[in-house]
Amino acid sequence: MSTPARNTPSSERLTLGPLRAPLMFGGLGVGIVGLASAYFLAGDLRSFLSAYLVAFCFIVTISLGGLFWVTIMHLTRAGWGVCVRRLAEILAMATFPCLILFLPILLPVMTGSSASIYDWVDLKNLPERLQGFGDLLAHKEPFLNGPFFAIRALVYFAVWGGCAAFFLRGSRSQDESGDKSISLRMQAFSAPAMLLFAATLVFASFDWGMSLEPIFFSTIYPVYWFAGAAMSSICTMTLISFLLQRSGRLTDDITTEHYHDLGKLMFGFVFFWGYIAFSQYLLIWYANLPEETFWFEYRQQGGWATGSIILIVVHLALPFLAIMPRTLRRNKAYMAMAAIFLLGAHWYDHFWLIMPTTFRPTFGVTPADILCLVGVIGFYASAFALIAGDRKLIPAGDPRLYESLSYHNA
Amino acid sequence: MAHRPSPTRTEPQVKFVGYLAEFDDPHRLVAACDQVRQAGYRQIDAHTPFPVHGIDPALGIRRTRLPFIVLAVGLGALAVGILLQWYANATDDIRPFPGYKFLISGKPTWSLPANIPVAFEITVLFSAFATFFGMWGLNKLPQFSNPLFRIPRFKRATSDRFFLMISADDPIFDATQTRQQLERFGALNVERVDHDQSDAELPRFLKPLAWCLASIAILIPTAVYRSQAMTNEAPRLHFNPDMDWQDKSKPQTVSPALAGAEGSTLFADGRVMRPDVPGTVALGELRLSDPLFRGYEQGTAVEPGATDEEGNPLEPEWVTAFPSDVDDAGDPVLEVNEAMMARGQRQYGIYCAPCHGYAGYGDGLVSRRGLDLTVQGLAAWNQAKSLHDPMVVDQAVGKIFDTISNGRNTMGPYRSQITVEDRWAIVLYVKALQATQERTAAATAPAN
Repeated sequence: MSTPARNTPSSERLTLGPLRAPLMFGGLGVGIVGLASAYFLAGDLRSFLSAYLVAFCFIVTISLGGLFWVTIMHLTRAGWGVCVRRLAEILAMATFPCLILFLPILLPVMTGSSASIYDWVDLKNLPERLQGFGDLLAHKEPFLNGPFFAIRALVYFAVWGGCAAFFLRGSRSQDESGDKSISLRMQAFSAPAMLLFAATLVFASFDWGMSLEPIFFSTIYPVYWFAGAAMSSICTMTLISFLLQRSGRLTDDITTEHYHDLGKLMFGFVFFWGYIAFSQYLLIWYANLPEETFWFEYRQQGGWATGSIILIVVHLALPFLAIMPRTLRRNKAYMAMAAIFLLGAHWYDHFWLIMPTTFRPTFGVTPADILCLVGVIGFYASAFALIAGDRKLIPAGDPRLYESLSYHNA
Repeated sequence: MAHRPSPTRTEPQVKFVGYLAEFDDPHRLVAACDQVRQAGYRQIDAHTPFPVHGIDPALGIRRTRLPFIVLAVGLGALAVGILLQWYANATDDIRPFPGYKFLISGKPTWSLPANIPVAFEITVLFSAFATFFGMWGLNKLPQFSNPLFRIPRFKRATSDRFFLMISADDPIFDATQTRQQLERFGALNVERVDHDQSDAELPRFLKPLAWCLASIAILIPTAVYRSQAMTNEAPRLHFNPDMDWQDKSKPQTVSPALAGAEGSTLFADGRVMRPDVPGTVALGELRLSDPLFRGYEQGTAVEPGATDEEGNPLEPEWVTAFPSDVDDAGDPVLEVNEAMMARGQRQYGIYCAPCHGYAGYGDGLVSRRGLDLTVQGLAAWNQAKSLHDPMVVDQAVGKIFDTISNGRNTMGPYRSQITVEDRWAIVLYVKALQATQERTAAATAPAN
């Protein structure tokens, strides 16, 4: 029998409440300690920055995924996910603090420092593997140069922050007024927002990820980023829901049905990632052009062959089987565990994307990598608490909240 | 059960199907379903204009087995997809239907990345089939007719009424009691559903119609087959002109005219087979090592016909020892051992002995026959060189290799007939031959 339908959220425990201060200051502390110790463990700035870039890409894709889910929920007038949409809105808004986290990557590029992790910064001192490609890189210089790199980054953050702020502010003003026209306005903006999101994500992935190997090109690389972003943000929303509910917040509002739905999307995007990753591999493998295959060659030597197989197992094979059964997807704790596992896989995915070519010729994870991740997550948690503030964690004034609260999977 | 009408031959054959109860509210329907199920009925079904939450447990419907069917079919299709490709591409020894293990552009016949897309698509296709047709099977579809469609009230099941059906096949079904129960559970109306089975036969016109359609359907393929296969003075029909006349080139033909472009050909020079780009090197033919492939020290090549100031021909620096080149795996290309010697003897017997003779004195059968003909004035033959001529004995191994490769005087080049390794093996054998003859001369000298 169906549970009685409700049309209002439980009035209490809708905010972070007492969790807020510890999260904000604890996260900040963890962030400072984590990054500082990572820096001292890494030894030199360049190897610290490479580990830092992995953690940064991990966190910024989660935020971007949040923006994607908010936008697509408005675009499709989704009812099921209204209960968790505020979490996605906060994740999306956290792209703004990500701008601060981006500074350590941007500054060496701007100053042309040798510590910069991007080899195209200084065309006069190309590393050995790029010797002979000077003309090619000079040809790309109008795009790949410090000032334009910075301008583009500012544009990305402006677009993401602007879209996220629009959705979050609209949704919050609806909390008080319950004005249905706000939903229509957000829906109208969601279509251009989706286009903006796609365009900026594409170039951000080119700039921050692909340009590490400035002579490599793959047009599916941004889709690969997107697949990871969509999956990791769903995982983050699941995990945050679970942690909040365990701490006694939002206890009645996010139900098994929502976990089930998040689980379906998680499952779908696990496989989507596999599909995209394989598409990229297959096309390069089949065409067998030296200007493309070398990228995978780096990922098959010095122990990275094992590293690549680990990626397939943890990011595709294992989770694909582990979250396929419906009964397991309806188990909150199990899904939270799956989310943690997949977030780990997502971090490892970026590790695999960034590290092999120059920074880590032989496969291995160092404590500095992990500490960087912990530090950045600390800052991110702090930002989450800051943005969430004392406001509600679900869109209490949304006209589709009733639909979401009483939602049942058939 | 007593109320069932007894069928007779004259009256239409009617089967009592069950009772249809009508409700005007989904909640009342769900409640009624619950009560009916608790009363012990199992052969029950509900018909509603939209999906009603909670109706499944109320009707006692268990979760569908469809996912497991799909999983099993999907895994089976995955295995079939991989096996099919393995059979078609990587085997040719399954009789009587061997696969097609063809070597195409040197690609491996079996390589997993290339097989994944097909295996994946077959898995998806058959999973979709299993989902779709499995749903049909589990729902006992297709059903072209249902006795409920004959009930006028039932039409409202697609707009604003909610129906509960209890089948007469249910073990505890009782014509009077069940009706009373349904009314007690809040049905607006309970209707008896009968199935008139007298019109279950197909209409009579269908069979001839099907024959007609089938006959018409094979007309066009027949016409196509006829016009393409029969002998006829008229030109062949072309159904795909753009496939039959393509702007493409075949080997050993002139460049075709471009369709629609008067006077222009695919290639400006009118040739179809394109010359190699200057500097092109065939795979595995780079041959950078001068000692191994040309017999002289690296970089000492001379222009053909070059001479020094006195007019003597210039020569490169011939190698005096067997080249020590290694292959990609790091193993030496040439290993001077008994196997190489045996190989050299064999190849010498094939290629050299006819003229130079088995002992190397230039008295092979061909050479002797040529001399005979010369004596008779029927040919102009120069005797083959004796390999024991001091001039030859003193030659470096590289120079002998060069002679075999490119010929000398009237001897022709053998580089296209004898592989590099075999040429070096012949050089080794020739050197051994010379050593034996020297020793013979030295050994016999004191006796003389």
